[in-house]
Amino acid sequence: MAFSVPKKAFQNQLVFKGLKQGLTLIIPEEKSFSFWLEALNSQLMETKTFFRGALINVELGARKLTKAEEESLKRILSSFSIIAKSFTNQYAETDRGPREEGKGKERITRSYMVHGTVRNGQRIEYDGNIIVKGDVNPGAEIVATGDIIILGRLRGTAHAGAKGNDRAEVIAMLMNPVQIRIGNHFSRSPETGANRTCPEIARVRQGKIVVERYDVNQH
Amino acid sequence: MSGRVIVVTSGKGGVGKTTAVANIGTGLALNNHKVVMIDADIGLRNLDVVMGLENRIVYDLIDVVEKKCRLRQALIKDKRFENLFLLPAAQTRDKSEISPQQMKALCAELSEEFDYILIDCPAGIEQGFKNAVAGATEAIIVTTPEVSAVRDADRIIGLLHSSDLDDPMLILNRIRPDMVRKGDMMNIDDVNDILAIRLLGVVPDDEGIIISTNKGEPAVLGKNSKAGEAFRNIVRRIQGETVPLMSMDFDPGLFGFLRKMFNNK
Repeated sequence: MAFSVPKKAFQNQLVFKGLKQGLTLIIPEEKSFSFWLEALNSQLMETKTFFRGALINVELGARKLTKAEEESLKRILSSFSIIAKSFTNQYAETDRGPREEGKGKERITRSYMVHGTVRNGQRIEYDGNIIVKGDVNPGAEIVATGDIIILGRLRGTAHAGAKGNDRAEVIAMLMNPVQIRIGNHFSRSPETGANRTCPEIARVRQGKIVVERYDVNQH
Repeated sequence: MSGRVIVVTSGKGGVGKTTAVANIGTGLALNNHKVVMIDADIGLRNLDVVMGLENRIVYDLIDVVEKKCRLRQALIKDKRFENLFLLPAAQTRDKSEISPQQMKALCAELSEEFDYILIDCPAGIEQGFKNAVAGATEAIIVTTPEVSAVRDADRIIGLLHSSDLDDPMLILNRIRPDMVRKGDMMNIDDVNDILAIRLLGVVPDDEGIIISTNKGEPAVLGKNSKAGEAFRNIVRRIQGETVPLMSMDFDPGLFGFLRKMFNNK
């Protein structure tokens, strides 16, 4: 499910969304809770009977409710015959970007695109994935907490999964790095490297960084 | 009228920045442009020696900036060309005694009177480099076909990018065709692979350069010098002409590549 709680409320409107846990009222993280209570009240006044008898879930984002706040929310809802069956903070981490589910592992999808060549002495650091549309020259460093994709030649240093994520990967059109680091693993190019000619992928296997041909059928 | 302010830089020392400035400056003057060369290497000045003008220095760059003299007084007229001038660096001072703002103002003032302002940048990436690039609107990178020089050039290109000089030109200096042919020296492809910027010219290694430098006679004036010919071509390319790279007996594959590079422009 790739959707995020609206960080910026659209014209101060509250949104009801049909999610997999049922009809969900999303209360944005910005502005005060009492502001949204008032907005909810006037919004429901307009629609009145539309949600009558509905069982809803309330998504709060990162917001935590006091008992009193929860009570007053329930009171407003019940005055329109709506029952709040649950409260969730499921999308509290949306500032880290949308998440991808499935395949049994969560992946960071937030990415940063670098246009052009990263040169000696330059360092690009990002909390997410990094994509470079160009070369990474010797002496340049790319550091990402997620994956690193180089649409060019990797000849500098790449550190994927920089916060210790060993499942991160480094993919380069031409892999000729000074060093690759993934999570807490470290590897350097062999002194006499074979001439590389195809896209390759580096990842951790059995505690070691392995570089192999990037196989389009496997991804 | 506004002249072109071009900084000649490299990162690494000893790759031929000063020689390039002397030859390009002289070459431009030879083609009737009004040229001034600024030696921004304060404390380690050389350009005056290479130009053979050392004994004429009275005032220098720092004197101008500190308003101890007028700009006119510090400019040294070349002994061969009426339209070629040198603004020498101070030898007994320090690079921190001038600021990027002051260099900027100086370049702006000179560009009202001259067609070309060439700045000889000191090696390194510190204060002296920052001063030298501050007033420039274009940049020429000089490198030799050595891994260390190319690395430093790459670093410089990155730094220039953040100073809004994002389309620098490259001079590949001191190439030795015989070594390239044997595979013992990086060729133009190898350098271009890393740096990937516009190639302004390739200068062959030439003993004549050493002799002319010691004599204070830029090689660009010598009719029989291969390096001189390369610099004359570079000057014409700076003026906007399309000039094919001269023959250096490289392997034909290389030439195909070069021809392609210049035809694409």
